[in-house]
Amino acid sequence: MSEGAMAVVKPEMKSYIWLQTADGLIQQVEEEVAMFCPMICREVLQTGMGSSKTYAISLPQRVNPAILGLILDYCRFHQVPGRSNKERKTFDEKFIRLDTKKLCELTSAADSLQLRPLVDLTSRALARMIEGKTPEEIRETFHLPDDLTEEEKLEPLRNMTDDPRIRLLNRLYARKRKELKEREKLKNVEVEEERVDERSVDDLLSFINGGDGDSKGVRCTKNKKKNRRRKDQPRDSSSNNENGNHQKELNGLPSACQNGEVDDVPSQSKTLNLQDSASVPFSPKLEFDDGDIDDELDPAMKEELDREVEDFARRLNSVWPERMQEILSLGQERRLVPISMNGNGSLKTYTGMLLIKLNLRQLCPFSYLSLLVFFFFFENFNLD
Amino acid sequence: MDNVLGRDFISDLPQSIIETILTKLPIRDAVRTSILSSKWRYKWATLTQVEFDDRCVTLSNDKVLVENNLVKFITQFLFLHNGPVHKFMLTTAYLQSSPEIDQWLLFLSRKDIRELVLELGEQEWFRAPSCLFSCRKLTRLELVRCELDPPLTFKGFLCLKYLSLQQVLIAPDAIESLISSCPLLESLTLSYFDSLALTIHAPNLKYLCLEGEFKDICLENTTLLVAISVAMYMTDDIAEHFEQSSSCNFDKFLGGVPCLERLIGHIYFTKYLSIGNDLGKLPITYCHLKIVELYQVSFEDMKEILVVLRLIVNSPNLQELHISVSNNNGSSNTTAAAEAPDLDFWEKECPSGCMFKQLKTVKMTDMFGIPHEMDFIKFLLGNSPVLEIMSVAPSVYVTEGRLNMLIELARFRRASAKAEIIFIQD
Repeated sequence: MSEGAMAVVKPEMKSYIWLQTADGLIQQVEEEVAMFCPMICREVLQTGMGSSKTYAISLPQRVNPAILGLILDYCRFHQVPGRSNKERKTFDEKFIRLDTKKLCELTSAADSLQLRPLVDLTSRALARMIEGKTPEEIRETFHLPDDLTEEEKLEPLRNMTDDPRIRLLNRLYARKRKELKEREKLKNVEVEEERVDERSVDDLLSFINGGDGDSKGVRCTKNKKKNRRRKDQPRDSSSNNENGNHQKELNGLPSACQNGEVDDVPSQSKTLNLQDSASVPFSPKLEFDDGDIDDELDPAMKEELDREVEDFARRLNSVWPERMQEILSLGQERRLVPISMNGNGSLKTYTGMLLIKLNLRQLCPFSYLSLLVFFFFFENFNLD
Repeated sequence: MDNVLGRDFISDLPQSIIETILTKLPIRDAVRTSILSSKWRYKWATLTQVEFDDRCVTLSNDKVLVENNLVKFITQFLFLHNGPVHKFMLTTAYLQSSPEIDQWLLFLSRKDIRELVLELGEQEWFRAPSCLFSCRKLTRLELVRCELDPPLTFKGFLCLKYLSLQQVLIAPDAIESLISSCPLLESLTLSYFDSLALTIHAPNLKYLCLEGEFKDICLENTTLLVAISVAMYMTDDIAEHFEQSSSCNFDKFLGGVPCLERLIGHIYFTKYLSIGNDLGKLPITYCHLKIVELYQVSFEDMKEILVVLRLIVNSPNLQELHISVSNNNGSSNTTAAAEAPDLDFWEKECPSGCMFKQLKTVKMTDMFGIPHEMDFIKFLLGNSPVLEIMSVAPSVYVTEGRLNMLIELARFRRASAKAEIIFIQD
């Protein structure tokens, strides 16, 4: 430290202030230099400390001896009044050429001593290290841990920066998600027999209405067919539109329902309620689902159910498939797939859906179904 | 490099330091720090000073796209922001009037905003919504290119200290009542106003800066004014008004500013002050006036010269004087000669024994070398015992008379032994 040298050169009547750092080291500093720090100045004026070794002013913990030396150098230079602005600037530029760690410590120490000009100087230097750099570079400079998940990295920034890097990352991520979904779809197809992607709406409707099962028909739906035929017969007879006119069938079913069919009284009222809220495309599905109420929900049934629902959904709304797929696969395979389609809103709705599905399935099959449908409906709006 | 072993030494600094650092970054970089690490995710969200400009978004030729991106950026930022916003600055050439700005102002009015600077594009001027007037804690307001219409219930910005309005459409009585309803106002800047006749009541006002076409400026109750800078433009309308004026402008303007330390006047300011100057003179002494800068003074108009004289004679502590000569009249030499100048004019007009005891620096620029100008310099040189620098710069239009000017200058008697005459040839 230079104080020793100074003491030797000028042994005149110079007043010193005694300072003690957190590690116990005590040193004396010329008064005018030390008083440049507001915190020390205040201590001296208010409490009278610092006049001797025993009454040394204890400095805040963030100030260690090495950093204190730097700060005192700064003070020593700047407290001299006669310096020009240019001289001060040159000194400052040289002064902050320190390694990053020291710079951070210096900022912290200067802040605890309330030496505002030095805080500004070091902050500006640190800001220069951050400005215009990529995140990797910044992390390297400051040894920051890269502990954010991919999603977290994108979340608040998604709409905020149009940084091409972020956009690229978004695209890559979206592609990855898509691939993941494709893979799962394929897997599910293998598990649950062939998925018949080529069937037309007509085929499906005829299938629902008890028409001949396609040769590619899914084996598990045989039971369903039986039930459906049972349920659908009275309705068919009333509307007199059989397999020929499937379109009318679609419209016919709700109207038939509303006319108050005798057969399925318990399901009828409920269907009506749901019908009021559901849009036309969904009503056949409702009918279709209601047909299973009377059946016990054994596991095979459940699977079937899920599959049918999903199948139908895919026909009517091309966006549904991936969603349904995930939900179904979630229930069956107990695996959480990260889902985030258009934004964060749908994610929330998903989780809601999942929870309810899992909880209610055991409790009340019908409520589960209706709620499932309700959520389909609800999500339809979300997509828009 | 070694993220595992190397210790992270910046994330644990106190939030105030982090905010100081982030405030020194452009806002876009500050927001980007949110992907550095989990600790940095929301360090930017509590910034209290935010400055937006066109650098926040990538610029392109598609103006609409840039505008939309900027709007999205700011909206998202404010939406994710947490805590008070004390300073909000928006400087943009792309964004004009937009309904989102109203929403931002409403949002900011709920966030204890203290300093607001809005400088928008040039097409359709933004009309400030009434929520602007409910920002109770405003201490600084700067608006460029907008329309202000204070509601009737507006009682003033009680904390406002700094007000700057540039190219703002506001009714004259509204601007007067706005100024007088801000009791703590210390600095007022009004730029590019049209035909404004203004009376200023501002008991705490220290700094006044006016620029534009002012018909009339009356400073009432501005006793603490320290610095005044006025640039007055002329239109036919105003010229007519000047001719018909029957009061002493000098008294109206400089009558109640005993603490004045610095006076700067541009363009027609001296002419404005000269009107009615011979109608009664208040004995005012500007004890603190140290610097006087008057530009575009016409030395052919006796009245303007009298204004200059009155000012400097009544300022015993004047230290610096800058006078620049108006070059309105191209061939000023001939007209001046025809007038048969009164060479003892200066001695006659001044009280006897008038000395400029503190005057150290005099700068004369754009000089033509006409007799009145030279006499003025002679007068100053002869009555300034501590003068150090007399700098003379001829106007660019003067080509032949420079040597004569120099010869004359060299002859003048100097009261100060230290005086240097510096002739600037550019």
